[in-house]
Amino acid sequence: MLLTSSKDLKDKGLDVVLDFFRKKSLWMLHYCTGCGAIELPPTMTSRWDMERFGMGPMATPRQADLLLITGYLSVKSLKRVIYTYEQMPEPKWLIAFGSCPINGGIYYDSYSVINRLAEYLPVDLSIEGCMPRPEAIIDGFTKLMKSIDKGEAVGYKRYRENYEWYKKNQAEVLERTSPVLKEEVADETK
Amino acid sequence: MKQNEIISKIIERFPSAVILITDDKQFSITVDENDAVTAVAYMQMLDFKQLAIITAVDWIEKGKFEIVYNLFSYEHLQQVFVKTLIDRKNPKIQSISNLWEVAGMYERDVHEFFGVEFVGNNDLRPLILHNWQDKPPMRKDFDSEAYSNKVFGNFKKEKAL
Repeated sequence: MLLTSSKDLKDKGLDVVLDFFRKKSLWMLHYCTGCGAIELPPTMTSRWDMERFGMGPMATPRQADLLLITGYLSVKSLKRVIYTYEQMPEPKWLIAFGSCPINGGIYYDSYSVINRLAEYLPVDLSIEGCMPRPEAIIDGFTKLMKSIDKGEAVGYKRYRENYEWYKKNQAEVLERTSPVLKEEVADETK
Repeated sequence: MKQNEIISKIIERFPSAVILITDDKQFSITVDENDAVTAVAYMQMLDFKQLAIITAVDWIEKGKFEIVYNLFSYEHLQQVFVKTLIDRKNPKIQSISNLWEVAGMYERDVHEFFGVEFVGNNDLRPLILHNWQDKPPMRKDFDSEAYSNKVFGNFKKEKAL
C-alpha cells in the first residue's frame, strides 16, 4: 500500500509516489556476463516466478531499469557493460551477483577479470554467494524494492555526481598505454 | 584403416618421429621442428580432415614451447596430436593456414597468449584480450597474481561504495 503523508510529499516531492510505482515494475536487462546467468531461468520461470513481483526480462538497455552483472566480469565485457549502463535511462539500478564482482572471487588472481565492480560502476545491491540460489536472488530483489521505496537506492545519482572518479578508474583499466609489470619486461631484455 | 596401419605409415614417412599411444583411439606424434608442417600435411592426407585446435605448452625449464596440433579423423575414428618443440627465446614456426583456413584463427590465439610467431600468417592481430600491453599471459613466467593485484587489487577507499 502506498503510505505517504503530506509532509513526505512536501519534502521529497513526487518521487515518493513515483518510487512506489517504480519498485513494482522493474524491467531487467538480460545481459549475462558470467556463470550466474544460469540461475536466472529458474528465477524467471514457474518455479520461483519472478513475474509476481512485476519483474520481467527486457531485450534492450533503452527500456530497462535494472542491470544485472551475473558473475565474473572480464575487462573486455566491462567496456560493454559501461556502454550499456550509460545507455539506460534514469532511474536505473545495478545488481552485482556472486562473489566475483565484490572481490574477484575465485578469479582474484586472473589477469583479465576485474576484482571490484564498485570501482567502475555504482552498485546498488550485491548478492553474495557462488552462485546465489534463486531464493537469494528473489531476496535480493525484494531488498532492492524496499530500498527503492525508501529512496535509498540512488546509484545512478552517485554515478552522476562522481562521474570523473568513475571515469578515471575505468580509464585506468581500459585505456592503458604501457606494460604494468615493468621489472619483468626489463628481465626479458637482458 | 586401423591405428597400427596408420602408425606404420607414419614411421615409414618420418623415421625419427616419437609415437606415444594413449589408447586404441588416440595417439601422439612428436616430430622435429622442421618436419612439423610436413607431418601435419601428411596427416591431412591420411584423412585426418578435422583440425580441432592448435595450442601450445610452455616448458620453461627446457626453454621450449611445444606446439600441439590436435587432429581428428571421422574416417578412422582416431585422434592424433602432432607435437613439436620450438625454441622459447625466438618462437617461430611455419603457418598451416594454407592447409586449413580455420588454422589462421587458432594461430592468432596462440600468438596472442604465448607470443609464438607463425610465419606466413599475415593476420596475427590481437583476438581476445582488451588492449594488452604486457607479455603474453599464458607464459609461465607471467605472474598473473602480481598483475591482478597491481591493476585491480588496489581497492580505493575514497568515495567507493
